[in-house]
Amino acid sequence: MVGLSLGEKNFIQGGIAQDLRSDGRKRLTYRPVSVETGVIPQANGSARVRMGATDVISSVKAELGKPSSLQPDKGKVSIYVDCSPTAAPMFEGRGGDELSTDLSVALQCCLLGGKSGAGAGIDLSSLIVVEGKMCWGLYIDCLVVSSDGNLLDALGAAIKAALSNTGIPRVLVAAGASGDEQPEVDISDEEFLQFDTSDVPVIVTLTKVGRHYIVDATSEEESQMSSAVSISVNRKGHICGLTKRGGAGLDPSIVLDMISVAKHVSEQLMNKLDSEIAAAEAVEDDS
Amino acid sequence: MAGRRGTNPTTYSPSLKTQKTRSTIFKDDWVRPDGRGFQQCRPAFFRTSAVTAASGSAYAEFGNTKVIVSVFGPRESKKAMMYSDIGRLNCNVSYTTFATPVRAQGSDRKDFSSMLHKALEGAVILETFPKTTVDVFALVLESGGSDLPVVISCASLALADAGILMYDLVTSVSLSCLGKNLVIDPILEEESYQDGSLMITCMPSRYEVTQLTITGEWSTPKINEGMQLCLDACSKLANIMRSCLKEATTTSQE
Repeated sequence: MVGLSLGEKNFIQGGIAQDLRSDGRKRLTYRPVSVETGVIPQANGSARVRMGATDVISSVKAELGKPSSLQPDKGKVSIYVDCSPTAAPMFEGRGGDELSTDLSVALQCCLLGGKSGAGAGIDLSSLIVVEGKMCWGLYIDCLVVSSDGNLLDALGAAIKAALSNTGIPRVLVAAGASGDEQPEVDISDEEFLQFDTSDVPVIVTLTKVGRHYIVDATSEEESQMSSAVSISVNRKGHICGLTKRGGAGLDPSIVLDMISVAKHVSEQLMNKLDSEIAAAEAVEDDS
Repeated sequence: MAGRRGTNPTTYSPSLKTQKTRSTIFKDDWVRPDGRGFQQCRPAFFRTSAVTAASGSAYAEFGNTKVIVSVFGPRESKKAMMYSDIGRLNCNVSYTTFATPVRAQGSDRKDFSSMLHKALEGAVILETFPKTTVDVFALVLESGGSDLPVVISCASLALADAGILMYDLVTSVSLSCLGKNLVIDPILEEESYQDGSLMITCMPSRYEVTQLTITGEWSTPKINEGMQLCLDACSKLANIMRSCLKEATTTSQE
């Protein structure tokens, strides 16, 4: 919890009402985003994203496994978030666990699409090796290194960057395996398949303070919020997921207005993120 | 007798009646497995005071989905908790081992518990019971689809039965997107094929959305349409719940 005096609270709220926030930003401006890829050598792909003082790391590990019997033509993706107590003392014990599950559920809802896999940012059918027998399982693990608000957007960006950094080894299936036998495979350690991340949405969280909403709230601003709506938007401008936090109720018309604002903001964020990811990849290739 | 035994198959072979192919859903003349219209909810049944030991409780049955919610308290918050001048709401959702088609370990659903908490916290007037905790325990007896919306509606009825002050009853309705169709109040089978889902939790008299979750790919007009359908269904559901509460008080007075 952020301890603020009454004067500080009024200062934050007044600034937001006048479209000039305490760090000089406008209501719909993001903090500078910096992306670094390939930060974890042990993983198939990884990225570190910083937005102001918020710092998160995301890693992608791919493992061969068996697809579930209900969906034999699809791979598996799981997302876990870890809020380490090194980032903030309140993440210790139950508080951290609750936040971690909340963030994981929100990310799964925003990135993985419906049960049938339609509208998912990650194409699950591309992860299949042998239908019904073998598939890739992607384990996306995120770590909150330092928290200064707007964790969900930063985590979403980090996952997008980590996925575009991910190389999945090419698998050669030995012919002749039939029936219930597990097919024999040969995992290549030279050839890697790049992951198509053009469909992965970005997450925009609109935090409502007073009558206005802001993007990329710092933790001081988050402490003054009445509610926050996180909307994930893909390149086509379609909504891929939405979750709400905070107790206060919202009028349905405000929700729809927030969606249209988020769409507008997401375009800028998407472009900014893409250029940052491309720059980070170029730096990595040089070294 | 002997002849009849001969004609019957001697080994047990389970019929695969429930296995349907996905393609059936995309035909134009597709009808829902239980014969409902696309915009028709299942008949709802509510009963309050289902558990005598609790301060308040409610039982809800929507088709095959059966849940029971008990509310205990307000009781003194644990000593370890920090002082708080507003009350605390402690929510827990769990499934019985026999609730799902495949037997599962009767487990707590942490994600559902936090969703239930988020859906209710905006409606309960927490200022009326400072330093104390209200426990809301939900148990899904049978999972038949749209479990979380039923749990949320049932929990708000149980809170009302316990006499906890609320701004309004909280009702919740979900909707599945199957191909081009929007199907309200989906059953388990429809949920497993869905391309996207939308769940709204609202306070109908105040016309306020307390919780909203969308998964899958949606265009804005479709969200608009889905929200309107759900909000209409929510206000109808609130009327059913209100009449259930009235019925309970009139029978207890007699």
